[in-house]
Amino acid sequence: MLSAFLSAFRTPDLRKKLLFTVAIIAVYRLGATLPSPGVSFSNVQKCIDIMESGATSGVFSLLNLFSGGALLSLSVFALGIMPYITASIILQLLTVVIPRLEQLRKEGQSGQAKITQYTRYLTLGLAVLQSSAFVALARSGQLFSNQCDQFPIVPENTGLPMWITLVALVITMTAGTGVVMWLGELITDRGVGNGMSVLIFTSIAARLPSEGWAIKESRGWAWFIAVLALVLLVITLVVFIEQAQRRIPVQYAKRMIGRKMYGGTSTYIPLKVNQAGVIPVIFASSLLYLPQLILQFFDQNDPGPVQSWVQNNIVDPASWIHIVIYFLLIIFFTYFYVSITFNPTEVAENMKKYGGFVPGIRPGKPTADYLDFILSRITLPGSLYLGVISILPNFFFIWLDNNQFQNFPFGGTAVLIMVGVGLETVKQIESQLMQRNYEGFLR
Amino acid sequence: MAERKRRGEDPADDNLNDETFEDTVDAEDDDVADEPVSRGGTATLSKAKAEAADSPAKEKKPGRGPFARIGRFFREVVAELRKVIWPTRNELLTYTAVVIVFVAVMMTVVALLDFGFAKGVLAIFG
Repeated sequence: MLSAFLSAFRTPDLRKKLLFTVAIIAVYRLGATLPSPGVSFSNVQKCIDIMESGATSGVFSLLNLFSGGALLSLSVFALGIMPYITASIILQLLTVVIPRLEQLRKEGQSGQAKITQYTRYLTLGLAVLQSSAFVALARSGQLFSNQCDQFPIVPENTGLPMWITLVALVITMTAGTGVVMWLGELITDRGVGNGMSVLIFTSIAARLPSEGWAIKESRGWAWFIAVLALVLLVITLVVFIEQAQRRIPVQYAKRMIGRKMYGGTSTYIPLKVNQAGVIPVIFASSLLYLPQLILQFFDQNDPGPVQSWVQNNIVDPASWIHIVIYFLLIIFFTYFYVSITFNPTEVAENMKKYGGFVPGIRPGKPTADYLDFILSRITLPGSLYLGVISILPNFFFIWLDNNQFQNFPFGGTAVLIMVGVGLETVKQIESQLMQRNYEGFLR
Repeated sequence: MAERKRRGEDPADDNLNDETFEDTVDAEDDDVADEPVSRGGTATLSKAKAEAADSPAKEKKPGRGPFARIGRFFREVVAELRKVIWPTRNELLTYTAVVIVFVAVMMTVVALLDFGFAKGVLAIFG
Protein backbone atom coordinates (compact mmCIF):
# COMPACT_ATOMS: atom_id res chain seq x y z
CA MET A 1 0.00 0.00 0.00
CA LEU A 2 2.81 2.35 0.88
CA SER A 3 4.50 1.59 -2.41
CA ALA A 4 1.29 2.71 -4.11
CA PHE A 5 1.58 6.07 -2.37
CA LEU A 6 5.13 6.30 -3.64
CA SER A 7 4.21 5.36 -7.18
CA ALA A 8 1.44 7.96 -7.04
CA PHE A 9 4.18 10.51 -6.54
CA ARG A 10 6.33 8.94 -9.23
CA THR A 11 3.67 9.43 -11.89
CA PRO A 12 4.33 12.92 -13.25
CA ASP A 13 0.80 14.16 -14.00
CA LEU A 14 -0.63 12.63 -10.84
CA ARG A 15 2.16 14.15 -8.76
CA LYS A 16 1.36 17.51 -10.28
CA LYS A 17 -2.30 17.15 -9.38
CA LEU A 18 -1.59 16.03 -5.84
CA LEU A 19 0.89 18.82 -5.19
CA PHE A 20 -1.54 21.32 -6.71
CA THR A 21 -4.29 20.16 -4.37
CA VAL A 22 -2.00 20.37 -1.35
CA ALA A 23 -0.92 23.86 -2.41
CA ILE A 24 -4.56 24.98 -2.65
CA ILE A 25 -5.25 23.48 0.76
CA ALA A 26 -2.27 25.45 2.11
CA VAL A 27 -3.68 28.68 0.67
CA TYR A 28 -7.05 27.84 2.18
CA ARG A 29 -5.59 27.24 5.62
CA LEU A 30 -3.52 30.42 5.38
CA GLY A 31 -6.64 32.44 4.68
CA ALA A 32 -8.42 30.70 7.52
CA THR A 33 -5.68 31.80 9.93
CA LEU A 34 -5.19 35.33 8.64
CA PRO A 35 -7.23 37.82 10.69
CA SER A 36 -9.46 40.28 8.87
CA PRO A 37 -8.61 44.00 9.00
CA GLY A 38 -9.98 45.74 12.06
CA VAL A 39 -10.05 42.57 14.16
CA SER A 40 -7.82 42.47 17.17
CA PHE A 41 -5.92 39.21 16.84
CA SER A 42 -4.75 39.03 20.44
CA ASN A 43 -8.25 39.69 21.79
CA VAL A 44 -9.71 36.99 19.55
CA GLN A 45 -7.13 34.51 20.84
CA LYS A 46 -8.02 35.34 24.43
CA CYS A 47 -11.72 34.96 23.67
CA ILE A 48 -11.24 31.57 22.04
CA ASP A 49 -9.26 30.44 25.08
CA ILE A 50 -12.07 31.57 27.35
CA MET A 51 -14.60 29.77 25.19
CA GLU A 52 -12.66 26.54 25.15
CA SER A 53 -12.22 26.47 28.88
CA GLY A 54 -15.82 27.53 29.48
CA ALA A 55 -18.73 25.17 29.79
CA THR A 56 -20.93 26.55 27.02
CA SER A 57 -19.23 26.49 23.70
CA GLY A 58 -20.82 28.82 21.22
CA VAL A 59 -23.91 28.47 19.15
CA PHE A 60 -22.02 28.03 15.92
CA SER A 61 -20.32 24.75 16.66
CA LEU A 62 -21.05 23.00 13.38
CA LEU A 63 -20.57 26.11 11.30
CA ASN A 64 -17.26 26.64 13.03
CA LEU A 65 -16.38 23.02 12.34
CA PHE A 66 -17.19 23.42 8.66
CA SER A 67 -15.06 26.53 8.39
CA GLY A 68 -12.15 24.85 10.17
CA GLY A 69 -12.24 27.15 13.19
CA ALA A 70 -11.95 30.21 10.97
CA LEU A 71 -15.37 31.55 11.89
CA LEU A 72 -14.72 32.30 15.53
CA SER A 73 -11.42 33.97 14.79
CA LEU A 74 -13.12 36.17 12.17
CA SER A 75 -10.41 35.46 9.64
CA VAL A 76 -10.43 36.32 5.96
CA PHE A 77 -12.01 32.98 5.05
CA ALA A 78 -14.32 33.05 8.07
CA LEU A 79 -17.37 32.02 6.08
CA GLY A 80 -15.53 29.20 4.36
CA ILE A 81 -17.30 27.24 1.68
CA MET A 82 -20.73 27.40 3.32
CA PRO A 83 -22.27 30.21 1.23
CA TYR A 84 -21.24 28.38 -1.92
CA ILE A 85 -22.85 25.18 -0.73
CA THR A 86 -26.03 26.97 0.27
CA ALA A 87 -26.14 28.75 -3.08
CA SER A 88 -25.69 25.55 -5.03
CA ILE A 89 -28.44 23.81 -3.07
CA ILE A 90 -30.78 26.72 -3.67
CA LEU A 91 -30.04 26.72 -7.39
CA GLN A 92 -30.39 22.98 -7.73
CA LEU A 93 -33.71 23.09 -5.95
CA LEU A 94 -34.85 26.01 -8.08
CA THR A 95 -33.94 24.09 -11.23
CA VAL A 96 -36.84 21.80 -10.51
CA VAL A 97 -39.22 24.67 -9.87
CA ILE A 98 -38.32 27.35 -12.40
CA PRO A 99 -38.82 26.26 -16.03
CA ARG A 100 -36.19 28.65 -17.38
CA LEU A 101 -33.47 27.11 -15.21
CA GLU A 102 -34.53 23.62 -16.24
CA GLN A 103 -34.28 24.66 -19.86
CA LEU A 104 -30.78 25.96 -19.18
CA ARG A 105 -29.77 22.69 -17.60
CA LYS A 106 -30.96 20.70 -20.57
CA GLU A 107 -29.06 23.00 -22.91
CA GLY A 108 -25.82 21.29 -21.99
CA GLN A 109 -22.48 22.97 -21.56
CA SER A 110 -23.45 26.60 -22.13
CA GLY A 111 -26.57 26.34 -19.99
CA GLN A 112 -24.59 24.70 -17.22
CA ALA A 113 -22.09 27.54 -17.38
CA LYS A 114 -24.95 30.00 -17.00
CA ILE A 115 -26.25 28.15 -13.93
CA THR A 116 -22.75 28.14 -12.44
CA GLN A 117 -22.61 31.87 -13.00
CA TYR A 118 -25.91 32.37 -11.16
CA THR A 119 -24.60 30.17 -8.35
CA ARG A 120 -21.57 32.39 -7.98
CA TYR A 121 -23.64 35.58 -7.85
CA LEU A 122 -25.95 34.04 -5.29
CA THR A 123 -22.92 32.93 -3.27
CA LEU A 124 -21.63 36.49 -3.09
CA GLY A 125 -25.07 37.75 -2.08
CA LEU A 126 -25.31 35.18 0.68
CA ALA A 127 -21.75 35.97 1.73
CA VAL A 128 -22.62 39.67 2.17
CA LEU A 129 -25.65 38.73 4.30
CA GLN A 130 -23.78 36.21 6.37
CA SER A 131 -20.69 38.33 6.92
CA SER A 132 -22.73 41.34 8.02
CA ALA A 133 -24.59 39.10 10.44
CA PHE A 134 -21.35 37.81 11.91
CA VAL A 135 -19.72 41.21 12.06
CA ALA A 136 -22.76 42.54 13.91
CA LEU A 137 -22.58 39.58 16.28
CA ALA A 138 -18.90 40.11 16.87
CA ARG A 139 -19.50 43.79 17.61
CA SER A 140 -22.16 43.04 20.19
CA GLY A 141 -20.10 40.24 21.72
CA GLN A 142 -22.69 37.56 21.04
CA LEU A 143 -20.35 35.59 18.82
CA PHE A 144 -18.75 34.42 22.06
CA SER A 145 -22.05 34.29 23.97
CA ASN A 146 -21.15 37.53 25.80
CA GLN A 147 -18.50 35.75 27.83
CA CYS A 148 -15.76 37.81 26.40
CA ASP A 149 -16.98 41.39 26.63
CA GLN A 150 -13.87 42.68 28.38
CA PHE A 151 -11.83 42.03 25.21
CA PRO A 152 -13.57 43.74 22.27
CA ILE A 153 -12.96 41.76 19.09
CA VAL A 154 -13.33 44.83 16.91
CA PRO A 155 -11.60 47.58 18.91
CA GLU A 156 -13.04 51.12 18.76
CA ASN A 157 -9.91 53.22 19.23
CA THR A 158 -8.29 52.71 15.84
CA GLY A 159 -8.42 56.33 14.67
CA LEU A 160 -10.72 55.37 11.79
CA PRO A 161 -14.48 55.91 11.88
CA MET A 162 -16.22 52.72 12.96
CA TRP A 163 -18.31 52.31 9.83
CA ILE A 164 -15.23 52.17 7.63
CA THR A 165 -13.85 49.31 9.71
CA LEU A 166 -17.16 47.44 9.57
CA VAL A 167 -17.59 47.90 5.84
CA ALA A 168 -14.00 46.79 5.28
CA LEU A 169 -14.69 43.67 7.37
CA VAL A 170 -17.77 42.76 5.37
CA ILE A 171 -16.00 43.38 2.08
CA THR A 172 -12.98 41.32 3.15
CA MET A 173 -15.07 38.34 4.21
CA THR A 174 -17.18 38.48 1.08
CA ALA A 175 -14.06 38.62 -1.06
CA GLY A 176 -12.65 35.75 0.99
CA THR A 177 -15.72 33.68 0.20
CA GLY A 178 -15.21 34.45 -3.48
CA VAL A 179 -11.62 33.26 -3.25
CA VAL A 180 -12.64 30.07 -1.43
CA MET A 181 -15.19 29.39 -4.16
CA TRP A 182 -12.49 29.82 -6.77
CA LEU A 183 -10.10 27.56 -4.87
CA GLY A 184 -12.77 24.88 -4.76
CA GLU A 185 -13.34 25.09 -8.47
CA LEU A 186 -9.60 24.97 -9.10
CA ILE A 187 -9.37 21.72 -7.14
CA THR A 188 -12.25 20.23 -9.10
CA ASP A 189 -10.69 21.24 -12.41
CA ARG A 190 -6.99 20.65 -11.93
CA GLY A 191 -6.55 18.75 -8.69
CA VAL A 192 -7.92 15.53 -7.25
CA GLY A 193 -11.41 15.14 -5.86
CA ASN A 194 -14.42 17.40 -5.73
CA GLY A 195 -13.29 20.86 -4.61
CA MET A 196 -16.26 21.59 -2.39
CA SER A 197 -15.94 18.32 -0.49
CA VAL A 198 -12.15 18.50 -0.27
CA LEU A 199 -12.31 21.94 1.34
CA ILE A 200 -14.91 20.80 3.88
CA PHE A 201 -12.78 17.75 4.50
CA THR A 202 -9.79 20.01 5.16
CA SER A 203 -11.77 22.14 7.60
CA ILE A 204 -12.95 19.13 9.54
CA ALA A 205 -9.45 17.64 9.49
CA ALA A 206 -8.19 20.89 10.98
CA ARG A 207 -10.63 20.74 13.88
CA LEU A 208 -10.53 17.04 14.74
CA PRO A 209 -7.20 16.87 16.62
CA SER A 210 -8.07 19.67 18.99
CA GLU A 211 -11.62 18.40 19.50
CA GLY A 212 -10.27 14.95 20.25
CA TRP A 213 -7.80 16.42 22.67
CA ALA A 214 -10.61 18.35 24.36
CA ILE A 215 -12.42 15.08 25.01
CA LYS A 216 -9.28 13.60 26.51
CA GLU A 217 -8.78 16.67 28.68
CA SER A 218 -12.31 16.78 29.99
CA ARG A 219 -13.06 13.08 30.36
CA GLY A 220 -9.75 11.27 30.54
CA TRP A 221 -8.08 8.54 28.53
CA ALA A 222 -10.78 5.89 28.88
CA TRP A 223 -13.35 8.10 27.19
CA PHE A 224 -10.87 9.16 24.55
CA ILE A 225 -10.15 5.56 23.60
CA ALA A 226 -13.82 4.65 23.71
CA VAL A 227 -14.66 7.50 21.34
CA LEU A 228 -11.78 6.48 19.08
CA ALA A 229 -13.06 2.90 18.96
CA LEU A 230 -16.54 4.20 18.15
CA VAL A 231 -15.13 6.31 15.33
CA LEU A 232 -13.28 3.28 13.98
CA LEU A 233 -16.51 1.31 14.03
CA VAL A 234 -18.36 4.06 12.20
CA ILE A 235 -15.58 4.31 9.61
CA THR A 236 -15.78 0.58 8.93
CA LEU A 237 -19.55 0.74 8.66
CA VAL A 238 -19.40 3.67 6.27
CA VAL A 239 -16.82 1.92 4.09
CA PHE A 240 -18.94 -1.24 4.13
CA ILE A 241 -22.05 0.52 2.87
CA GLU A 242 -20.21 2.77 0.43
CA GLN A 243 -18.70 -0.30 -1.22
CA ALA A 244 -21.96 -2.21 -1.50
CA GLN A 245 -23.24 -2.40 -5.05
CA ARG A 246 -26.24 -3.76 -6.85
CA ARG A 247 -24.82 -5.05 -10.11
CA ILE A 248 -27.17 -5.02 -13.03
CA PRO A 249 -25.92 -7.42 -15.68
CA VAL A 250 -25.56 -5.99 -19.18
CA GLN A 251 -24.95 -8.14 -22.23
CA TYR A 252 -23.43 -6.56 -25.30
CA ALA A 253 -24.24 -7.89 -28.75
CA LYS A 254 -21.39 -8.85 -31.02
CA ARG A 255 -20.95 -6.63 -33.99
CA MET A 256 -18.55 -6.09 -36.83
CA ILE A 257 -17.04 -2.70 -37.37
CA GLY A 258 -14.79 -2.78 -40.40
CA ARG A 259 -12.88 -6.02 -40.13
CA LYS A 260 -12.92 -6.26 -36.39
CA MET A 261 -15.28 -7.96 -34.06
CA TYR A 262 -16.51 -5.88 -31.14
CA GLY A 263 -18.64 -6.56 -28.12
CA GLY A 264 -20.16 -9.84 -27.16
CA THR A 265 -19.01 -9.17 -23.64
CA SER A 266 -21.09 -9.16 -20.52
CA THR A 267 -20.53 -6.45 -17.93
CA TYR A 268 -22.64 -4.83 -15.29
CA ILE A 269 -23.85 -1.41 -14.24
CA PRO A 270 -22.77 -0.84 -10.66
CA LEU A 271 -25.52 0.87 -8.69
CA LYS A 272 -24.20 1.76 -5.28
CA VAL A 273 -26.51 1.40 -2.32
CA ASN A 274 -25.60 4.96 -1.52
CA GLN A 275 -25.38 6.36 -5.02
CA ALA A 276 -25.41 9.96 -3.73
CA GLY A 277 -22.21 9.95 -1.66
CA VAL A 278 -21.85 12.48 1.13
CA ILE A 279 -23.42 15.44 -0.65
CA PRO A 280 -26.90 14.92 0.90
CA VAL A 281 -25.42 15.19 4.38
CA ILE A 282 -23.54 18.36 3.53
CA PHE A 283 -26.67 19.83 1.93
CA ALA A 284 -28.98 18.89 4.78
CA SER A 285 -26.71 20.21 7.50
CA SER A 286 -26.05 23.49 5.73
CA LEU A 287 -29.74 23.95 4.98
CA LEU A 288 -30.55 23.37 8.62
CA TYR A 289 -28.26 26.25 9.48
CA LEU A 290 -30.33 28.75 7.56
CA PRO A 291 -32.89 29.28 10.36
CA GLN A 292 -30.07 29.97 12.76
CA LEU A 293 -28.60 32.46 10.36
CA ILE A 294 -31.94 34.20 9.93
CA LEU A 295 -32.31 34.41 13.70
CA GLN A 296 -29.16 36.49 13.84
CA PHE A 297 -30.92 39.37 12.15
CA PHE A 298 -33.39 39.69 15.01
CA ASP A 299 -32.84 41.12 18.43
CA GLN A 300 -31.07 38.51 20.54
CA ASN A 301 -31.74 40.00 23.93
CA ASP A 302 -35.48 40.16 23.62
CA PRO A 303 -36.61 37.05 21.72
CA GLY A 304 -40.22 36.89 20.62
CA PRO A 305 -42.26 33.68 20.95
CA VAL A 306 -41.57 32.53 17.37
CA GLN A 307 -37.89 33.29 17.71
CA SER A 308 -37.46 31.39 20.94
CA TRP A 309 -39.48 28.46 19.58
CA VAL A 310 -37.20 28.26 16.56
CA GLN A 311 -34.17 28.58 18.81
CA ASN A 312 -35.27 25.80 21.14
CA ASN A 313 -36.72 23.36 18.64
CA ILE A 314 -35.02 23.77 15.30
CA VAL A 315 -31.60 25.25 16.02
CA ASP A 316 -30.84 23.26 19.15
CA PRO A 317 -29.19 20.03 17.91
CA ALA A 318 -30.45 18.08 20.94
CA SER A 319 -34.15 18.70 20.31
CA TRP A 320 -36.26 15.98 18.74
CA ILE A 321 -37.70 18.28 16.12
CA HIS A 322 -34.21 19.16 14.95
CA ILE A 323 -33.24 15.50 14.71
CA VAL A 324 -36.38 14.52 12.81
CA ILE A 325 -36.07 17.43 10.37
CA TYR A 326 -32.40 16.62 9.80
CA PHE A 327 -33.20 12.96 9.16
CA LEU A 328 -36.01 13.75 6.71
CA LEU A 329 -33.88 16.36 4.92
CA ILE A 330 -31.11 13.80 4.41
CA ILE A 331 -33.55 11.28 2.95
CA PHE A 332 -35.01 13.93 0.68
CA PHE A 333 -31.63 15.14 -0.53
CA THR A 334 -30.42 11.59 -1.14
CA TYR A 335 -33.29 10.94 -3.52
CA PHE A 336 -32.96 14.40 -4.98
CA TYR A 337 -29.25 14.10 -5.63
CA VAL A 338 -29.53 10.61 -7.09
CA SER A 339 -32.20 11.86 -9.47
CA ILE A 340 -29.91 14.69 -10.56
CA THR A 341 -26.77 12.64 -11.05
CA PHE A 342 -28.12 9.38 -12.46
CA ASN A 343 -30.52 9.54 -15.36
CA PRO A 344 -31.94 6.06 -16.14
CA THR A 345 -33.35 7.16 -19.50
CA GLU A 346 -29.95 8.36 -20.64
CA VAL A 347 -28.17 5.23 -19.45
CA ALA A 348 -30.76 3.04 -21.17
CA GLU A 349 -30.42 5.00 -24.40
CA ASN A 350 -26.65 4.73 -24.33
CA MET A 351 -26.78 1.01 -23.72
CA LYS A 352 -29.16 0.56 -26.59
CA LYS A 353 -26.98 2.61 -28.88
CA TYR A 354 -24.01 0.33 -28.35
CA GLY A 355 -26.01 -2.84 -28.58
CA GLY A 356 -26.25 -3.57 -24.88
CA PHE A 357 -29.23 -4.94 -23.02
CA VAL A 358 -30.17 -6.25 -19.63
CA PRO A 359 -31.00 -9.94 -20.04
CA GLY A 360 -34.74 -10.40 -19.92
CA ILE A 361 -35.57 -6.72 -20.31
CA ARG A 362 -36.22 -5.04 -23.64
CA PRO A 363 -33.92 -2.16 -24.52
CA GLY A 364 -35.16 1.42 -24.47
CA LYS A 365 -37.92 2.51 -22.17
CA PRO A 366 -38.46 -0.83 -20.37
CA THR A 367 -34.79 -0.82 -19.44
CA ALA A 368 -35.04 2.75 -18.20
CA ASP A 369 -38.08 1.80 -16.14
CA TYR A 370 -36.24 -1.21 -14.76
CA LEU A 371 -33.22 0.89 -13.77
CA ASP A 372 -35.49 3.46 -12.19
CA PHE A 373 -37.33 0.74 -10.29
CA ILE A 374 -34.11 -0.68 -8.85
CA LEU A 375 -32.62 2.72 -8.13
CA SER A 376 -35.62 3.98 -6.19
CA ARG A 377 -35.68 0.77 -4.12
CA ILE A 378 -31.97 0.59 -3.46
CA THR A 379 -31.73 4.26 -2.50
CA LEU A 380 -34.11 3.84 0.45
CA PRO A 381 -31.67 1.83 2.59
CA GLY A 382 -28.89 4.12 1.37
CA SER A 383 -30.69 7.23 2.55
CA LEU A 384 -31.71 5.61 5.84
CA TYR A 385 -28.09 4.71 6.46
CA LEU A 386 -26.94 8.27 5.78
CA GLY A 387 -29.63 9.60 8.09
CA VAL A 388 -28.91 7.19 10.93
CA ILE A 389 -25.16 7.77 10.87
CA SER A 390 -25.63 11.54 10.76
CA ILE A 391 -27.99 11.75 13.70
CA LEU A 392 -25.82 9.56 15.92
CA PRO A 393 -24.11 12.54 17.60
CA ASN A 394 -27.49 14.09 18.39
CA PHE A 395 -28.34 11.03 20.40
CA PHE A 396 -25.10 11.56 22.24
CA PHE A 397 -26.25 15.08 23.02
CA ILE A 398 -29.34 13.69 24.63
CA TRP A 399 -27.68 10.78 26.31
CA LEU A 400 -24.80 12.77 27.75
CA ASP A 401 -25.18 16.10 29.42
CA ASN A 402 -25.75 18.87 26.98
CA ASN A 403 -22.91 21.24 27.54
CA GLN A 404 -19.86 19.08 27.57
CA PHE A 405 -20.32 17.65 24.11
CA GLN A 406 -21.71 20.64 22.30
CA ASN A 407 -18.85 20.47 19.85
CA PHE A 408 -18.96 16.74 19.45
CA PRO A 409 -17.57 16.23 15.97
CA PHE A 410 -17.26 12.45 16.08
CA GLY A 411 -19.66 9.68 15.26
CA GLY A 412 -21.83 11.38 12.70
CA THR A 413 -21.80 14.08 10.08
CA ALA A 414 -18.09 14.84 10.35
CA VAL A 415 -16.92 11.24 10.21
CA LEU A 416 -19.29 10.54 7.35
CA ILE A 417 -17.89 13.45 5.38
CA MET A 418 -14.29 12.52 6.22
CA VAL A 419 -14.67 8.90 5.15
CA GLY A 420 -16.85 9.66 2.14
CA VAL A 421 -14.53 12.30 0.75
CA GLY A 422 -11.48 10.22 1.62
CA LEU A 423 -12.83 7.19 -0.19
CA GLU A 424 -13.89 9.23 -3.21
CA THR A 425 -10.52 10.96 -3.48
CA VAL A 426 -8.50 7.78 -3.01
CA LYS A 427 -10.53 6.07 -5.69
CA GLN A 428 -9.93 8.93 -8.07
CA ILE A 429 -6.19 8.78 -7.43
CA GLU A 430 -6.40 5.02 -7.85
CA SER A 431 -8.07 5.23 -11.23
CA GLN A 432 -5.45 7.72 -12.40
CA LEU A 433 -2.77 5.38 -11.16
CA MET A 434 -4.33 2.48 -13.04
CA GLN A 435 -3.71 4.27 -16.31
CA ARG A 436 0.01 3.98 -15.68
CA ASN A 437 0.62 0.84 -13.66
CA TYR A 438 -1.67 -1.95 -12.76
CA GLU A 439 -1.07 -1.93 -9.04
CA GLY A 440 -3.00 0.50 -6.90
CA PHE A 441 -3.75 1.05 -3.24
CA LEU A 442 -6.76 -1.11 -3.22
CA ARG A 443 -5.30 -4.48 -3.98
CA MET B 1 -13.18 8.48 -46.67
CA ALA B 2 -15.99 10.89 -46.10
CA GLU B 3 -18.39 8.02 -45.64
CA ARG B 4 -16.23 6.41 -43.02
CA LYS B 5 -15.80 9.64 -41.17
CA ARG B 6 -19.51 10.15 -41.12
CA ARG B 7 -20.04 6.70 -39.79
CA GLY B 8 -17.52 7.24 -37.07
CA GLU B 9 -19.40 10.28 -35.91
CA ASP B 10 -22.71 8.55 -35.99
CA PRO B 11 -23.21 7.89 -32.27
CA ALA B 12 -22.61 11.52 -31.42
CA ASP B 13 -25.03 12.69 -34.09
CA ASP B 14 -27.62 10.27 -32.91
CA ASN B 15 -27.27 11.65 -29.45
CA LEU B 16 -27.80 15.20 -30.63
CA ASN B 17 -30.84 14.18 -32.60
CA ASP B 18 -32.37 12.43 -29.66
CA GLU B 19 -32.13 15.50 -27.58
CA THR B 20 -33.64 17.76 -30.16
CA PHE B 21 -36.33 15.23 -30.65
CA GLU B 22 -37.29 15.22 -27.04
CA ASP B 23 -37.26 18.95 -26.57
CA THR B 24 -38.96 21.12 -29.08
CA VAL B 25 -36.71 21.30 -32.13
CA ASP B 26 -34.39 24.26 -32.09
CA ALA B 27 -33.74 26.22 -35.22
CA GLU B 28 -30.09 26.41 -34.27
CA ASP B 29 -29.58 22.67 -34.32
CA ASP B 30 -31.19 22.15 -37.68
CA ASP B 31 -28.02 22.09 -39.76
CA VAL B 32 -26.67 19.27 -37.63
CA ALA B 33 -29.91 17.40 -37.54
CA ASP B 34 -30.70 17.17 -41.23
CA GLU B 35 -28.43 14.24 -41.92
CA PRO B 36 -30.72 11.65 -43.47
CA VAL B 37 -29.13 8.52 -42.03
CA SER B 38 -29.44 9.39 -38.41
CA ARG B 39 -32.85 10.95 -38.86
CA GLY B 40 -34.08 7.57 -39.99
CA GLY B 41 -32.45 6.15 -36.90
CA THR B 42 -34.38 8.49 -34.68
CA ALA B 43 -37.64 7.62 -36.32
CA THR B 44 -37.28 3.90 -35.65
CA LEU B 45 -36.02 4.72 -32.24
CA SER B 46 -39.10 6.71 -31.34
CA LYS B 47 -41.25 3.96 -32.78
CA ALA B 48 -39.54 1.44 -30.58
CA LYS B 49 -40.11 3.73 -27.67
CA ALA B 50 -43.81 3.99 -28.41
CA GLU B 51 -44.02 0.24 -28.70
CA ALA B 52 -42.20 -0.27 -25.49
CA ALA B 53 -44.51 2.07 -23.64
CA ASP B 54 -47.41 -0.23 -24.38
CA SER B 55 -45.86 -3.24 -22.71
CA PRO B 56 -45.17 -2.41 -19.08
CA ALA B 57 -41.77 -3.49 -17.85
CA LYS B 58 -42.70 -4.57 -14.38
CA GLU B 59 -45.50 -6.88 -13.41
CA LYS B 60 -47.20 -4.05 -11.53
CA LYS B 61 -50.49 -5.09 -10.01
CA PRO B 62 -52.73 -2.22 -9.01
CA GLY B 63 -52.29 -1.64 -5.28
CA ARG B 64 -55.28 -2.42 -3.12
CA GLY B 65 -54.64 0.51 -0.85
CA PRO B 66 -51.88 2.76 0.38
CA PHE B 67 -50.81 0.27 3.04
CA ALA B 68 -50.62 -2.63 0.64
CA ARG B 69 -48.55 -0.50 -1.71
CA ILE B 70 -46.17 0.60 1.02
CA GLY B 71 -45.87 -3.00 2.14
CA ARG B 72 -45.04 -4.10 -1.37
CA PHE B 73 -42.50 -1.32 -1.71
CA PHE B 74 -40.70 -2.50 1.40
CA ARG B 75 -40.78 -6.09 0.23
CA GLU B 76 -39.22 -4.95 -3.04
CA VAL B 77 -36.58 -3.00 -1.12
CA VAL B 78 -35.66 -6.12 0.81
CA ALA B 79 -35.62 -8.14 -2.39
CA GLU B 80 -33.22 -5.67 -3.98
CA LEU B 81 -31.04 -5.63 -0.87
CA ARG B 82 -30.65 -9.38 -1.18
CA LYS B 83 -29.16 -8.92 -4.62
CA VAL B 84 -26.61 -6.38 -3.42
CA ILE B 85 -22.98 -7.47 -3.59
CA TRP B 86 -21.48 -6.61 -0.21
CA PRO B 87 -17.73 -6.10 0.10
CA THR B 88 -15.74 -9.09 1.24
CA ARG B 89 -13.91 -9.05 4.54
CA ASN B 90 -10.59 -8.55 2.79
CA GLU B 91 -11.85 -5.67 0.68
CA LEU B 92 -13.44 -4.04 3.68
CA LEU B 93 -10.21 -4.16 5.68
CA THR B 94 -8.09 -2.79 2.84
CA TYR B 95 -10.45 0.06 2.10
CA THR B 96 -10.79 0.94 5.77
CA ALA B 97 -7.01 0.94 6.19
CA VAL B 98 -6.52 3.09 3.09
CA VAL B 99 -9.12 5.60 4.25
CA ILE B 100 -7.62 5.78 7.72
CA VAL B 101 -4.12 6.28 6.29
CA PHE B 102 -5.41 8.96 3.92
CA VAL B 103 -7.29 10.80 6.65
CA ALA B 104 -4.29 10.56 8.98
CA VAL B 105 -1.94 11.91 6.30
CA MET B 106 -4.28 14.79 5.50
CA MET B 107 -4.77 15.57 9.17
CA THR B 108 -1.02 15.69 9.71
CA VAL B 109 -0.50 17.92 6.68
CA VAL B 110 -3.26 20.31 7.77
CA ALA B 111 -2.05 20.31 11.37
CA LEU B 112 1.49 21.16 10.29
CA LEU B 113 0.26 23.90 7.99
CA ASP B 114 -1.96 25.33 10.72
CA PHE B 115 0.83 25.24 13.25
CA GLY B 116 3.17 27.08 10.88
CA PHE B 117 0.60 29.68 9.89
CA ALA B 118 -0.47 30.26 13.49
CA LYS B 119 3.15 30.93 14.48
CA GLY B 120 3.58 33.25 11.52
CA VAL B 121 0.38 35.18 12.16
CA LEU B 122 1.20 35.44 15.85
CA ALA B 123 4.62 36.83 15.00
CA ILE B 124 3.12 39.47 12.72
CA PHE B 125 -0.09 40.47 14.50
CA GLY B 126 0.36 39.23 18.05
